[in-house]
Amino acid sequence: MQKYEKLEKIGEGTYGTVFKAKNRDTLEIVALKRVRLDDDDEGVPSSALREICLLKELKHKNVVRLHDVVHSERKLTLVFEYCDQDLKKYFDACNGEIDPDTVKSFMCQLLRGIAFCHSNNVLHRDLKPQNLLINKNGELKLADFGLARAFGFPVRFYSAEVVTLWYRPPDVLFGAKMYSTSIDMWSAGCIFAELANAGRPLFPGNDDDDQLKRIFKLLGTPTEDTWPGLSQLPNYRPFPVYHVSTTWQQVAPKLNSKGRDLLQKLLVCYPPDRLSAEDSLQHAYFSDVNPSLK
Amino acid sequence: MAGNFWASSHYQQWLLDRQDLYRERQHDLKILAEEEYQKIMMLFANVIQALGEQLKFRQQVIATATIYFKRFYARNSLKCIDPWLMAPTCAFLASKVEEYGVISNSRLMTTCQNIVKNKFAHAFTGEYPYRIQNVLECEFYLLEMMDCCLIMYHPYRPLVKFCADLNADADLLPTAWRMVNDSLRTDAPLLYPPYLTALACIHLASIVKQKDIKGWCAELSVDNDKVMEITRMLVNLYDMWKTYDEKKEVQVVLAKMPKPSPSRPPSETPSLQDANAQQQQQQQNQQQAQMQA
Repeated sequence: MQKYEKLEKIGEGTYGTVFKAKNRDTLEIVALKRVRLDDDDEGVPSSALREICLLKELKHKNVVRLHDVVHSERKLTLVFEYCDQDLKKYFDACNGEIDPDTVKSFMCQLLRGIAFCHSNNVLHRDLKPQNLLINKNGELKLADFGLARAFGFPVRFYSAEVVTLWYRPPDVLFGAKMYSTSIDMWSAGCIFAELANAGRPLFPGNDDDDQLKRIFKLLGTPTEDTWPGLSQLPNYRPFPVYHVSTTWQQVAPKLNSKGRDLLQKLLVCYPPDRLSAEDSLQHAYFSDVNPSLK
Repeated sequence: MAGNFWASSHYQQWLLDRQDLYRERQHDLKILAEEEYQKIMMLFANVIQALGEQLKFRQQVIATATIYFKRFYARNSLKCIDPWLMAPTCAFLASKVEEYGVISNSRLMTTCQNIVKNKFAHAFTGEYPYRIQNVLECEFYLLEMMDCCLIMYHPYRPLVKFCADLNADADLLPTAWRMVNDSLRTDAPLLYPPYLTALACIHLASIVKQKDIKGWCAELSVDNDKVMEITRMLVNLYDMWKTYDEKKEVQVVLAKMPKPSPSRPPSETPSLQDANAQQQQQQQNQQQAQMQA
C-alpha cells in the first residue's frame, strides 16, 4: 500500500470506505475502496467478491475500471480509476440546468455501459445516479457492482431486495423473483427522465406502495390484459385504476419528441416489452450522435 | 457469467503453457513422481467433490472450486499451504462467487470434519485440525495468488450445445458429462479452453458408445491436435484407474508429499503451521505403526 498516498475520504461504499489517492510512482489519481474483513464472519464479503470478479472481466470505457486489488495484512483494497463526481453530485451542482446535448451524451453512455454488461450476461441491479461516475471529460461510467450478478443458466431465483426504491421496476416491487436485463432498463428510464429534468427524480416514492402508486398514476394501472401473469406475482395486490392525466410532455418538458418516445419505451410496466439497451442505442433520439461515440 | 471467453481473465491469464506448468511444478516433482503428483491432485479433487455434494452444490460450483485448487498449486508447491486446508477454502470461495449463497461457517467446518472422517479415513487419520479462521486466512492467499480471477468457464455449457447441434442420442450427453467431471482430475482445465475439453469428451464418449460422429467432427474448424491431446490425457487417466486403488495406496503417496517446513519463522501463519506439524506427526506415527505391524 506504500504505492498510494491517501488524499481524502470520498465516501462510504456498500462494504467499505472510499478514498481518493495518488500513485506515488505514476502520480495517477485513483480511488481506493477498502474492504473490511470482519473476523469470524464470512471472510471476504460476497458483495466485494462480486464486484471484484465481475469488474475483473468487464473492460469498457463506460464501466469503471478496476486497476488492481492490493492485498495487505488482513485487508483488501480495490484500486479504481478516479472520477471527479457521481451523477447525483453533478445534479446538485448543475443549478437546475443541463443542456440537451449533455443529457443525450450521458444517456448514450449509460446505455452503452449497460449494453456491454448485458452482452456479458451481467446485470447491474442497482443503477442510480450515485452509482454513475462522471469524470472531467464528461465520460460516464457504471460503478458499484456490489449488487451485480452474472446471469445465465440455470435460471435461479434472485433476491427481490435489489435496486434502490426510486429506480425499482414495478415487477420487482411486486416481488418478482425472476428478472432479467429489463430490471436495468427500467432504472435507465428513470435516470433518463431525471437527467432531462436536471436532477428532479421521476418517482421519489416513500415506500413500496407509494412507489407503485406514483408509477401507475403516470403509466396507468396494469391489468392481466396489459401484463399477463401480473396477479400471480408474489406480492401482488390490486391498485385503484388511476385516471392518467399527465402527458409525457409534462413529464419531461425539455426533452424533444424523439427523446420522449425513447423514454416511453423504457418505462413500460410489463418487463418483456421494455426496450433493450442494444435497441435503445438504435433509437432515432441518438441518430445525430457521432457514430464513433456510439 | 457467460460473456466472451476470449476477453475473459480465464483465457487471458489462466490458460497455462504446458512447459510453464512443469517448470512451476519442478520443486514438487523432485520429491514426487509425476504420477504420484497426479494422484495427490486427484485425491483432493475427490475431497472437493465429496464436500460439494454434501453441501448440495451444483456441479459447476464444484468444478470452479476444483480449478481454484489447481490454480493455486500450479503456482505454488504443495508445501506452501496444506491441501487439506486449501480444499474446503476453494469450496467456500466458489460458493460465494457462484452465488450458491454463503454457507455458514459451522456447516462448512462440520461437513469437512465429517467427510474427512467418514470418506477419507484412508487418507487422513486423526481429527481434522483446521478451524474457520484458518479457512478465512487461506481464502485471502488464494484470492491473491489467483490475482482475483474468479470467473470460470467450464466445458458443461459448450458440451450441452454441441450435443444439441449433433442431435446426439440421449446417452451420449451423460457419458460425455461424466468425462468432463473426470477431466477435472487431469491438467486439462489449466491448459485448454473448455470448449476443446467438451469436444474431447464428446469424441471419447462417441467411441465408448460406438456412435459415428466423424461427419460432424469434420465440419468443425478447431485445433484437432489439441482435442487429441485432451483425449489422451483422459485415456491415460482411465488407464491409471484400472490399476490404482486410492483407498489402499494414497497414504503412501501422501507420506511423501512435501509439507511446510517446520523451520519457518513462527510469525508466518503460525496457525496453519501448527496444524500441519500436527498432521505430519500423526502421519509419521501411523507410518511407524504400519512398519511395526
